[in-house]
Amino acid sequence: MKKRMLTTLLTAAMTASVLTGCGGLAKESASTAANDEAAAKPQIVDVEENETPAERSDEAVKLKLFSNLPDRKNGQGLVEQMIIDEYMAENPDVTIEVEALDEEAYKTKFKAYAMDGMPDVVSIWGQPAFLDEVLDAGVLAELNEDDYLDYSFIAGSLEGFKKDDKLYGLPRNTDIMLFYYNQKMFDDNGWKVPATMDDLLTLCTEIQAAGITPVAMDGGDGWPMACFLTDIMVKVTGINYADIISNAVATGDFTAPEIKQATQILVNFADAGMFQVGYDSQDYGTTMNLFTNGQAAMYCMGSWDASMALNEDIAPEIRDNIRVFTMPTVEGGKGGANDIAAWNGGGYAVSVNSAVKDEAIKFLNYMYQPDKLSKYGWENGVGMSAQDQTAYLTGNETELQKQIMEILKNATSVSGTPINDCGPSAFKTAIESEIQGVSNGSTSVDDFLAAIGAACK
Amino acid sequence: MKKLYSNKPVIFSLVLPGLLVFLFAVMAPIGLSVYYGFTDYSGMGEVRLIGFDNYVDLFHDNAFGRSLKNSLLLAVGFICIQHPLAILVAAVLDKLQGKAEGIFRCIYFIPNVISVAVIAYLWKFIYNPDFGLLNNIAKAFGHPGKINWLSQQNAIWAVLIVLIWHGFGWGMLIYYTGIKNIDPVLYEAASIDGANWWTTFFGITLPLMKPVIQINVTMAVISALKQMETVYLLTNGGPNNSTQFAANYLYQQAFKAFKYGYGNAIGVVFIIICVLVTVALNSIFKEKRESAA
Amino acid sequence: MKENNKKIGKVVLWVVLIAVAVIQLFPLVWLVDFSLGSSNEMFTNGLLIIPEKIRWDNYVKAFVDGNFLHYLRNSVLINTLAVVLVVFISIMAAFACQRMKWKLNGFVSTLLVMGMMIPIHATLLPNYKIYSALHLTDTIWALLIPYVAFSMPQGMFLMTGFIQALPKELEEAAVMDGCGIYRIVFQIVTPLLKPSIATVAIMTFLNNWNEFMMASTYLSTPTWKTLPFSVLEFTGEYSSNYAVQFAVMALTAAPAVIVYVILNKHITKGVAMGAVKG
Repeated sequence: MKKRMLTTLLTAAMTASVLTGCGGLAKESASTAANDEAAAKPQIVDVEENETPAERSDEAVKLKLFSNLPDRKNGQGLVEQMIIDEYMAENPDVTIEVEALDEEAYKTKFKAYAMDGMPDVVSIWGQPAFLDEVLDAGVLAELNEDDYLDYSFIAGSLEGFKKDDKLYGLPRNTDIMLFYYNQKMFDDNGWKVPATMDDLLTLCTEIQAAGITPVAMDGGDGWPMACFLTDIMVKVTGINYADIISNAVATGDFTAPEIKQATQILVNFADAGMFQVGYDSQDYGTTMNLFTNGQAAMYCMGSWDASMALNEDIAPEIRDNIRVFTMPTVEGGKGGANDIAAWNGGGYAVSVNSAVKDEAIKFLNYMYQPDKLSKYGWENGVGMSAQDQTAYLTGNETELQKQIMEILKNATSVSGTPINDCGPSAFKTAIESEIQGVSNGSTSVDDFLAAIGAACK
Repeated sequence: MKKLYSNKPVIFSLVLPGLLVFLFAVMAPIGLSVYYGFTDYSGMGEVRLIGFDNYVDLFHDNAFGRSLKNSLLLAVGFICIQHPLAILVAAVLDKLQGKAEGIFRCIYFIPNVISVAVIAYLWKFIYNPDFGLLNNIAKAFGHPGKINWLSQQNAIWAVLIVLIWHGFGWGMLIYYTGIKNIDPVLYEAASIDGANWWTTFFGITLPLMKPVIQINVTMAVISALKQMETVYLLTNGGPNNSTQFAANYLYQQAFKAFKYGYGNAIGVVFIIICVLVTVALNSIFKEKRESAA
Repeated sequence: MKENNKKIGKVVLWVVLIAVAVIQLFPLVWLVDFSLGSSNEMFTNGLLIIPEKIRWDNYVKAFVDGNFLHYLRNSVLINTLAVVLVVFISIMAAFACQRMKWKLNGFVSTLLVMGMMIPIHATLLPNYKIYSALHLTDTIWALLIPYVAFSMPQGMFLMTGFIQALPKELEEAAVMDGCGIYRIVFQIVTPLLKPSIATVAIMTFLNNWNEFMMASTYLSTPTWKTLPFSVLEFTGEYSSNYAVQFAVMALTAAPAVIVYVILNKHITKGVAMGAVKG
């Protein structure tokens, strides 16, 4: 069983590696997956943690970690903090100072930092919209890819973090776009998990009739809706998703019928009242709370929020009943039920100008030791890591985790980078703002496509 | 005395700290903005001079146009809603004697001393369609609730309401002080002539308050132009730039869209607009005052 | 008839005043009310709730995890320093421009006051660049310098007006006694300006106490973070616990409100004096 799991994971990820690049922006083919190399030249890896303490100077070292995980008591933030505390306990001369901000605030501040002097270890996203300009500016330290041969990174997961075949960061998660739903609420009302878009629309009407918000959507931030659009697009385009998007980004022409169709579906959804009132101005926390307080039947977000199942702040009757399904299929669409929107997005990197670069890399490597981020993440109910987690299956996983594992296992293709992260950051800014306008009906689909196209030029 | 008062080194030493702070914290950044405004600097890496390209782009930038329109709307909102209310309440408060007067004045001003960070988040909750105070009030009046106060169409008004609420006490206080400064003899004369409250208000209070109103109007227009913090936290310019303001927009462009050069170009235009508007308003009011005199 | 009219007028007057007071205060009452409940109690249809159990622990969380004391100390320290600097710099400059005889006094005075027109947020981008080049980011200077710089023009403007209104005789007598300029400025003029200083201090304090844009741009570690950060950080940390978020908002607002209510007569007087002039 374990082995099968691993192979399927790998297969899924291999497909991912082929698709990660957003064409025009990906500079190298993704064929040199990390594990091919591992197979080709097996070698003993010098893992720095094995150095004896005596080799180190006794001077106190202060590391600054800049993180996008402000909630340090749940999910990934908790995992990150656990590892930091462990590292400090093992290395008494090292203190690690954390500055944590919400995703949006984080990205803004990151760019400010990138101008002049960054913290030593930072959260990054291995996607063109975030990383291209950052790597061009050369603010991240190069990592030695050979160091990570036995870290069991899923094949292809490192590709988004490379430029000219050099590695600049490591992925933290394998993210899958999901519909979380409240199973008890579904059962009580006799609602069924939808298989097609039409089912979903009918379901939403029923849920609305019961006086409940069908889907909680964080539309205030723009990016979750762009991920949602990506998910729809995958169902429309199937494995052609990446090609179509990269072509559109390269030419600035988003009028391809598939993109238009997917956008129209999003507009129809919003128009049918699928999302909560005021979704286009509500933030992440508010949206999630709508679902975790039983005000909404579903919640659309990435697999990282699977830690909801273990969040003590959420009432047990809700958190124990959270389940997931993936975007239903579109009639006439090329994407099947098992073509999913997934990618290796978030991760960590080290600042090139860090005064304590060696220590920073050492800490980075420590975090990525397979029994740290990956294991703790799994134990704390976070979604899939970007490393092989099969060794840490305990049998005590939450239902949610099992389901997500299953989804990934059965995936026939994965999309790679979501649409908003496929272009330069001006494109990202534009689409994340324009998508609010198109979904709430104040911009037409054609104007939306023209506006995001213009931002690519 | 004269010699003492024209001692150059002493003068220099007195003015120097002020000048230094001004040069370092105001002039230097403006100079730097002008320079970066001519570049396509992304914030990192290379700096390339591109002439007036940024300014040409800015001219065609809908979001920036929207920012200026929003500022205008806000200014009109302040002048047509907040200020008439503030003057009226000030005039009414002036009629009140004793302790109650001080208590009301104190209450009205309280929102002003609360941090914008608290105000913006508080109103985000008040506007929340699911459990917000406003929709609960609507429900209490029999409305089904679920009104989307921050929708693309409503959001700018929602922002205006927050700002009016937050700044009401300030405007009220200034008018109140203005009214208190009016010679009571005038009111006595009016009441002997049998004038009622309204005629007194329009015949005496308003005309005599003209200079105060002018100052307040100027301040209102400028604060509408400079608006950033409330919007940054309440809507961050959204949905789809419908509540965008110049200051917030330049921040987004520089630190989010990686267009630092462009952000600075916005900053330069923004400064020029602020200076022009202030100077224009001052000269308009000055002329009026002179022609009146 | 006339008596009746007067009565109706009185009633209308009170209704208006109380209505406005309710509008101004109710959101704050609402805030405090829900901060004492639990998060699930938020989803009611009522305007206010009677919490099942009063949860003071919301405030304990807000106080401890919000770094309340530390941020409060920073806020008080930075604002006090800013006030002292603004007052001194503007008295000196205003005196030099208003009283002393030199060619450029009008120009310098206008230049310094002109800062009032500059939108503070336009300097966020270039100042960030300058401060990081000089390694001032994440130090107290990154806040102190802009706070002083953007409050000084107003201080300067007000002080110029106040100094202008002072009688010259005292200074002349002081000169006769052989006082130098510095003694005249600091020992003769400054004490006379007491009420004006209070005005400038209050205006400066109100301007800067609530500022967070610059703070969040220029600061990174908690070392110098100010009170608004309690709120900013909490919404991320406790995103799923509304009641605690309400508690931290109420707590953050409390110091300024309490100080204001205690000193309200002096503060309103100061503001009125400054604003009517400014």
